[in-house]
Amino acid sequence: MSVMADVGTIIGATLSGDITFSTVQAYRSPAAWFVFGPLTLLGGLLVYWIYQRVPFLDRHLERTIVVWTYIVIAMIIFVGVLQRFGPNLWWFPEAWAGQPAWSTTIPPLLFMVMAWYGCAFNVRLRTHLSFNEFRSKMPPRGQIIVLMMDAVLWMGFCIIVVTTTARVTVNSYDNFQIVLGTDNLMQWKFLITVPIAFLLMAGRVWENLFEDLKRYRAGEPLIEQAVIGGDV
Amino acid sequence: MTDGSWITLISLGVTFLFMMGVPVLLVIFYWVVGCSFVMGLTLDNTGAELMNVFNKGFALLAMPLFILTGDLINKSGIARRLSNFAYACLGWLRGGLAMASIGACGLFAAISGSNSATTATIGSMLHPEMVKGGYDERFSAATAAAGGTVGIIIPPSIIFIVYGFLMNLPISDLFIAGIVPGSLMVLAMMIACFVICYINKWGFLITLSPWRVFKTAVGAWLGFFAIGLVLWGIYTGKFSPTEAAGVTVGFCIIVGVISYPLNKLMKNKPDAPAEERSLASMVVVEGFTPIEIPSIVVRSAQITGILAPLIAVSVVMQQILSLLGAQQVIGGFVTGMGGYYPVLFTAMAIVFVAGMILESLPVTIILAPILAPIAASVGVDPIQFAVIFLVGASIGFITPPYGLNLYVASGVTGVPYFRLLRYATMYLVSLVIVWFCVAIFPSLSNTLLPGGYLFELLSGLGG
Repeated sequence: MSVMADVGTIIGATLSGDITFSTVQAYRSPAAWFVFGPLTLLGGLLVYWIYQRVPFLDRHLERTIVVWTYIVIAMIIFVGVLQRFGPNLWWFPEAWAGQPAWSTTIPPLLFMVMAWYGCAFNVRLRTHLSFNEFRSKMPPRGQIIVLMMDAVLWMGFCIIVVTTTARVTVNSYDNFQIVLGTDNLMQWKFLITVPIAFLLMAGRVWENLFEDLKRYRAGEPLIEQAVIGGDV
Repeated sequence: MTDGSWITLISLGVTFLFMMGVPVLLVIFYWVVGCSFVMGLTLDNTGAELMNVFNKGFALLAMPLFILTGDLINKSGIARRLSNFAYACLGWLRGGLAMASIGACGLFAAISGSNSATTATIGSMLHPEMVKGGYDERFSAATAAAGGTVGIIIPPSIIFIVYGFLMNLPISDLFIAGIVPGSLMVLAMMIACFVICYINKWGFLITLSPWRVFKTAVGAWLGFFAIGLVLWGIYTGKFSPTEAAGVTVGFCIIVGVISYPLNKLMKNKPDAPAEERSLASMVVVEGFTPIEIPSIVVRSAQITGILAPLIAVSVVMQQILSLLGAQQVIGGFVTGMGGYYPVLFTAMAIVFVAGMILESLPVTIILAPILAPIAASVGVDPIQFAVIFLVGASIGFITPPYGLNLYVASGVTGVPYFRLLRYATMYLVSLVIVWFCVAIFPSLSNTLLPGGYLFELLSGLGG
C-alpha cells in the first residue's frame, strides 16, 4: 500500500476503534511517522493552549497523575504484604487474607505510567540532570540558542517515542494482551498512557520554549539553577 | 565513511551536547537513535524498551518506594531525631557536628536508598547549623555531598536494586554485602572530617553525656525501628526488597499520621507534669497530616521522574553497545592486563572515569554487564565485584565534572558548585582508600553472607 493509504488506514481505524491486522501493518509502515510526527507537534500545541486557558491543569495535571499512581503502587504492595502475613495475626479479618496475583503485575505498569508522566513534569520544572556549568556562563544570545536546541531535541524525542510506543500499543490491542494475574484487564489500557504522556511532554516543550523567548525579549535571566526535590 | 567512523562522530556529537548542558537523558537517547540508524536497526525497539523496562520485573519498583521512604522520614521528623542522636554521640570530638552530619547520612541511608535524597535532607537540615557553628560553608556543603555517597551503599540501595535486576543477583545478598563497606565509608569520611576540622580548629565541643545519648537514642526509636524492619524483613526473607520498601512506606505513613495529632495534643497540655511532657516529646515525632501526603509524594515523584527514564534509555544504550561488540573490545582490553588484580584495578579505573562524566545509573547499566563477566572470569566473586563496582559508582557522585551530589549539595546549601570541590576532594581521597580495601579484602563484602566470618559468629551467638 502507498504511504497515503496507510496514513488513511491509521487515522480511520484509530478513530473508529476498528483495529485489525491491516491496521497493525499500517502502523508498522513509515506512514506512522507522517501521522504521529504532526500529531505530536500539533497535539503539543493544543496541550499548551489548554494549559494557558486552564491554569489549574497546567499546575496540577502531571503531578496529580504521578502522586496517585505512586500512592496506589505503595498501597498495593503494602496491603499485599499484609494479606500474606495477615492470617497469622489474630486481629486480621479472614476475608482479607490471600494476596491477589495482580498485586505484583499491576504496580510495574503503574510505575511505567509514573515514570513518563514524572518525566514530563520534570521537563516543565527543567530539573532533568544536566551539566549546566558552561551554558550558565554564556551570554543571553548563546543561552537562548542552547535553550532552543533543547526544545528541538525534546520535541524529536517526543515524536520518536509517540510513534514507536503507539505501534507497541496497537500491537498489544490487536493481540488481546491481558495484564497477568487478571481475568480481563487489557494491557493496552496501561500502554496507551505512554504516548499520551509524551504528547503532554510536547506541550511542556512548547510552553518552555515560548516562556524562554518571552524572557529573552524582556531581557530577563534565562537559566536559573533548579533544585532537585526543591519546592515544586 | 565506515560504521565505526560514524559512531565515533555520533559519540563526539553527543559529548558536545552534554557539554552544552543538554539533559543526560536526551544525550543518551540521541546516541541510541544515531547508532540505530548507522546499524540499520529499527527505532521500534527503543520505544518498546522504554515501556518494557518497567514491566519486566517487580524488583525495580523498590527504587521509587525507597525514595518516598526518604521523604517520609524527613517530613515526619525521624531524620531530625537521627541527626540529634548522631550529634549527641559525636559532638564531643573536634568537628563533631560535621561528623554527626556524616553519621546522620549513614543512618538516613539505612532507611532511604537514595544518595540525592540523603544529601538533600541532611544538607538542608545541618548546613545552617554547621555554618552557625563556625564551619566553613564550603566544607559544610562538601560534607553533605560526600555523606550522601553512602546512601547507595548502606542498604537499602536503589543502585544495588538496579545492579541485581540487571545481573540476576539476589538483591538481598547485595544489600547485606553493602553493610560493612558502607560503614567503612562512613568511618573513613569521619576520620577525614576530624583531620580537616582539627587542622582548621572548626566547631564547638560539647561534653559527652551518656544521658543525652540515651535521650536522643530513645527519641530516634522510630528510625531504628524502621532500619530494623527493613533489615529484618530482607535478611530473614520475610519480604523481597520491593515489599520491604512498601512496608517501610506504609510504616512511615502510619507513624507520621498518628504522631501529628499526638504531638499537637502534647503541645496543648502545658499543665501536664514536666517529666511526662519530656518523655512524650522524646517518644513522639512531629508527624504530618494526611493532607500533606500528596505534597511529600510529589517531591519523590520528581526524583523518580528523573531517574526512571534515565534507567530506561540506559538499558537501550547497553543493548546497542552489546550489538556493537563493546563487551569484546573492553573485555579484550581488560583481560589483556593479566591476572586477578590487574583486571580488577583496570575495571575500577574504567568505573572511576565513567563516574566522572556520567550519572551512576547509566554507569551501572552500561558497564556492569560488560565488566562483571570479565571479573568473574578471573575469579572475582560476583557479589564482591558488585560491591566494588557500586562503591566506585558512588564515588562518582562527588567526582567532577559530573558529580550529582555536588549539584544537589550546591542546590540545597547555595554554595556554588566549583567552590565545593576543594573539600570534596579530601573526602574523595578517603573514599578511594576504602574502595581499594574493599577490592583487596573480599571478606569485607562477604563477611555477613553465609560462610563469612561475621555470619558464622552471629549464627553461633544466635544458637
